[in-house]
Amino acid sequence: METDLREGYPVVSMQRKWRKVAYGGMQPGFDDNHTDDSFLEDMVTNANVVQRDLFKVMQDSVSISQYLCIVALVVLVWNNTLESAIECHSLLLLDVFLLCSGFLIVILTAEAEMISPGLVLSYAINIFFFITGLYALSPIYHTLTRSISSDSIWVLTALLLTFHLFLHDYTGCTVRAPGSGKNPTLRSNISLNTSIIASVLIASRLPSRHHVFAIVWFSLQVFLFAPLVTYCIKRYSFQLHLWVSVKLMVVSLVLIYRLNLFLFGLLLAILVFVTLVCPYWLIRIQKYKFEINGPWDEAKLCFDITD
Amino acid sequence: MENQNGKHKILMVSDFFYPNFGGVENHIYYLSQCLLKLGHKVVVMTHAYGKRSGVRYMTNGLKVYYIPWKPFLMQCTLPTFCGTFPIIRTILIREKISLVHGHQAFSTLCHEALIHARTMGYKVVFTDHSLYGFADVGSIHMNKVLQFTLADVSQAICVSHTSKENTVLRSGLPPEKVFAIPNAVDTPMFKPASERLKNDQIVIVVISRLVYRKGADLLVEIIPEVCREYSNVRFVIGGDGPKRVRLEEMREKHSLQDRVEMLGAVPHAQVRSVLISGHIFLNCSLTEAFCIAILEAASCGLLTVSTSVGGVPEVLPDDMIVLAEPDPGDVVQAIRKAITVLPKIDPQVMHLRMKNLYSWHDVAKRTETVYDRAMECSDQSLMERLSRYLSCGAWAGKLFCLVMIVEYLFWCLLKVLQPAEDIEEVPDVSFTSSSA
Repeated sequence: METDLREGYPVVSMQRKWRKVAYGGMQPGFDDNHTDDSFLEDMVTNANVVQRDLFKVMQDSVSISQYLCIVALVVLVWNNTLESAIECHSLLLLDVFLLCSGFLIVILTAEAEMISPGLVLSYAINIFFFITGLYALSPIYHTLTRSISSDSIWVLTALLLTFHLFLHDYTGCTVRAPGSGKNPTLRSNISLNTSIIASVLIASRLPSRHHVFAIVWFSLQVFLFAPLVTYCIKRYSFQLHLWVSVKLMVVSLVLIYRLNLFLFGLLLAILVFVTLVCPYWLIRIQKYKFEINGPWDEAKLCFDITD
Repeated sequence: MENQNGKHKILMVSDFFYPNFGGVENHIYYLSQCLLKLGHKVVVMTHAYGKRSGVRYMTNGLKVYYIPWKPFLMQCTLPTFCGTFPIIRTILIREKISLVHGHQAFSTLCHEALIHARTMGYKVVFTDHSLYGFADVGSIHMNKVLQFTLADVSQAICVSHTSKENTVLRSGLPPEKVFAIPNAVDTPMFKPASERLKNDQIVIVVISRLVYRKGADLLVEIIPEVCREYSNVRFVIGGDGPKRVRLEEMREKHSLQDRVEMLGAVPHAQVRSVLISGHIFLNCSLTEAFCIAILEAASCGLLTVSTSVGGVPEVLPDDMIVLAEPDPGDVVQAIRKAITVLPKIDPQVMHLRMKNLYSWHDVAKRTETVYDRAMECSDQSLMERLSRYLSCGAWAGKLFCLVMIVEYLFWCLLKVLQPAEDIEEVPDVSFTSSSA
């Protein structure tokens, strides 16, 4: 005969089924440390784990190598300017060329409804103000680090560029692209700041004001807009993105080879590491992944909290 | 350390105790009181609260040591590996303790006391009161520390079956070592109103800290919905916290000032009077190991509506609680169901049932069984204990062994500097009258 246990009166007639409840005191016939067969039956392991394919991971790692090559090319231009191998005029021409081609690529690859003449005009006006501001501030940059020794500048620049590469957001773009919903994160802002500081430090070592203006314009242009341009290319066509990246890698390797053998070796080693070794390593350690979910997890709200 | 006639001398350790009020604090206090009634000796150790430092006595002669350590972060003391060893050793020898019972994984004082007690050879019991995740950095660190402390614990207690699963996964303990003993509620203190409330206006009571974890954002979505659908429903919200601003904004936006009453922080002594002013108790927590607030509400005769998270489904029988998923639509549906069921609820009957379902004396008896089992565990030498620590992990195991060896050496040093014979032992004084 079974009276309702919920009434609170314990019944000691036959072996009852163990229930996963906390009320009613000790369940008769069972110890408090009784481990039922249903123990951990609600646990779910590795529910959200993505199975990765080696070739796809290698293709995705091309974004990282591409950005590394862009930064290598920027450093090359800095080095040549510091050794006065590039004239001020050719640098300004390079800047204008990069600006126009970047603009063209963004307009050509953007979706039709995102681009309107008003938007393009507002971009052009902003860029014009930006360049004018740089020109006005270049005397300040010119004399910024007069009292600091060159060695400190080179070390600082190297450190800042390393930070920049580590903190850079390789999936998105530094500035908000037209039509993209995500805002840049704090980490990508910090990386952008480090690259700007590095450019200003290098620029302050140059002989004349016009050099300073040209180099700062060049560096800022690349660091601010290169991620945006590559993001637009990637979004437009993945094949084009791969083709551009490979060309960039070849060009940068050739130019660095002409400059310095040690740096060439370093760049080649890093590119091989990023493209070949890291994907293989990632896939090998995936088997250790152990994600645990169950009724003890904190519930996730299904709506956004708007303040 | 012999116990005469089966009675133990227990030291309860935690960072969380009176004058703070909360789940862990109440648990330690009520459990200690019931153990004292059963004839055991109980001493509590916690850190200093403001100027409250030294030895204090509470009801029935419960001795509390407020050791002169200040809390440094979220009510917990600064973790120094050997810093608390001298004072814990002194207390253990003075009070002739036989067993140490630590509470709450988040309490650094508890971890330290358990480690020192094990070094000195005492039996230890640990009670876990919360659920933790596995994925973020804080939880990973916490779980490793827990694994260290529980590598050598005699027995462990969890407050619900879900909490037992969670603790076993986090610490790697064998499930047979973990006892599932729930909390209880002080039913004489939470009596329903003597006169039954009229049902023309339905009052929904919410008493919780207004933080993200307790589902304050869910509340912001639910209240306008319910108020729109039912014109005779009022809300009473007690408690304070960072999300209070959002609730006030919601009140302003939907012009619900006369239908939503915000009481601010409610002192523990007035919780009952707030509860008995309502018909339904609403709990929107996103995670709960065991929810004592629900028990208090049920003891006062309120019907509970709660999110079905963690250990909540185990707490009350199905006719005293309406469960919902942590989704605004689902909770509103549950409130609808609760309002239709409400006329069938009799607060006095509910209160009497709660008296049979939960009682601190029952919890104390079951805890006593755990203590008896703990005392039966064999004594282990340092070498045997080190082998247990080594299994914690490839690098962590060796680190933990190193820490325990240093602890052991420090203990030997303390034995030389302050021999046990020099520590004066406290005589046993009985505070309860013999006719109790």
